[in-house]
Amino acid sequence: MDIKITEQADNLLKDNGVRKEEILDIIKNSESSGQKLKSKDGNTCIAKGASENLTIYAVYSASELLDVYTHKMNILGITGGEIKPVEYDDASDWICAKCGEVALERNVDMSYLGVTRPGPGLVCAKCGEMYVSAGMAKSTLKTAEAILEEKRA
Amino acid sequence: MPAQDYIPIDSDWLGKAGSLWTTPWVDKPSDRVIVDPIILSHAATLYRKNAGYFYSNPDEAVRMVCGACELYDVTPVGHYLYADYWGADYGAEIKIQTNAPPGITNRPIKTAEDVDNFEVLSTEDLVKGPTLTTHYKALDTVKNEYPQMFAPITQLGGTMEVATNWASIEDVFMWMITEPELVDKLCVKAGDHMVNACRATAERYGANVMITGSVIASGDLMDREQIKRFSYQPVSRAVRKVLNAGAGPGVYYHLCGNHTDDFDLWKDAPMSPFTIVQIGYDGQNIFPTSKLVENFGDRCTCFGTVDTKLIDRGTPAQVYAQAKEQVIAGKDSPRGFILGTACECPTNAPPVNVHALVRAAKDFGKYEKF
Repeated sequence: MDIKITEQADNLLKDNGVRKEEILDIIKNSESSGQKLKSKDGNTCIAKGASENLTIYAVYSASELLDVYTHKMNILGITGGEIKPVEYDDASDWICAKCGEVALERNVDMSYLGVTRPGPGLVCAKCGEMYVSAGMAKSTLKTAEAILEEKRA
Repeated sequence: MPAQDYIPIDSDWLGKAGSLWTTPWVDKPSDRVIVDPIILSHAATLYRKNAGYFYSNPDEAVRMVCGACELYDVTPVGHYLYADYWGADYGAEIKIQTNAPPGITNRPIKTAEDVDNFEVLSTEDLVKGPTLTTHYKALDTVKNEYPQMFAPITQLGGTMEVATNWASIEDVFMWMITEPELVDKLCVKAGDHMVNACRATAERYGANVMITGSVIASGDLMDREQIKRFSYQPVSRAVRKVLNAGAGPGVYYHLCGNHTDDFDLWKDAPMSPFTIVQIGYDGQNIFPTSKLVENFGDRCTCFGTVDTKLIDRGTPAQVYAQAKEQVIAGKDSPRGFILGTACECPTNAPPVNVHALVRAAKDFGKYEKF
């Protein structure tokens, strides 16, 4: 898979402190394992790479890196412990490529600086893989991380 | 009263109160549970003013609230809001009342056709509207004069609350029986409105807390299926959209009234890392904090309550006894705890009852988990 990194995408990588090789590795690993989210039209994928301190996401098409985002909050698991049916439409616009299941919008427990709280996640009910959308990571989680850094300092 | 007539907030108190208020959100150890009696127009009575004066003068209102926070030793945040937000932006008439919060007297939606034709205002239009103009006057005053007590909120209410500020409660409840799809439409529009309103506050101030939940949609007026369909589901969709739009991150689920039959639904409502759940009543009784913590304690911050009727008409000893029971049950809730009232502190509540509430937190709310 030959992924083009435009100047705009390169700036996103720099803004997020992610190296080109790192993001390409994340995409490569996701492509080989199938562990990724795919948009319903099949044109866009989200790959995830998690280290101890940072979770990095690549949003990409067959030819191009479209977006990069990260969060420091570490996803621990489903809030409340297990995936049970909820009484609202929790289907997201994303499909787990490995399982073919629609990813569900669910609360996931996230930990940062010793504090564990819920956050909005995307979860495959079959394999249990958990992701965070770009909107949530770039706004809600960024703000939450900043508040925790200030208040826990 | 102009700003110079108020004494400055005591900085030592502010530091200590700020520390207490931080604990439930970020687990930073402090001495005891913070109290939030949801002081709004009650503050006016401490200055020999009435609710009408309070709501007609948003800048003075928040000065009074900030002063009351110090006087009572409670959550150091300057708030201004009332339940009937958003009607006036769409053509409703608001009546300022002497001894109660403002109320809507004439609503813009009167027929089923009105629902179909009703258009939700954009974020830009809402910013220019009467609700946010007044709301921002209050928030700007806090930001400029009491910056350490500034924590912007957006008073959304839930979808049923917004819907019944647009159409009369009698019509909405009649449609729930005769044309429920019409109420679905109304609730979708209310949800869209909530997203636009929250976005407006986020664009102006950055991080903010949305107050949502289910007030009209409670067990005394609606059954579980109705609450699920017209409140829980559309509110959940709206909160997701608000968070996705970057207009959070605070989420305050204010479940006022009786929620015996539907409280469990809200366990799976969308949550951010700064989410708080408050439930008013379990049947006719105050919602037990033990039950609140059992169901929500491993999910989010819990807001345990004392009956506002007791705050308004009970004795200090009765308030103290109920507050003691609630704070002991909740103080070490895993993801934080706040003690407060089931709803807004009644305008003319005796100050000694608010004091009794705070005393109980001081006497019995010392943390053991740190």
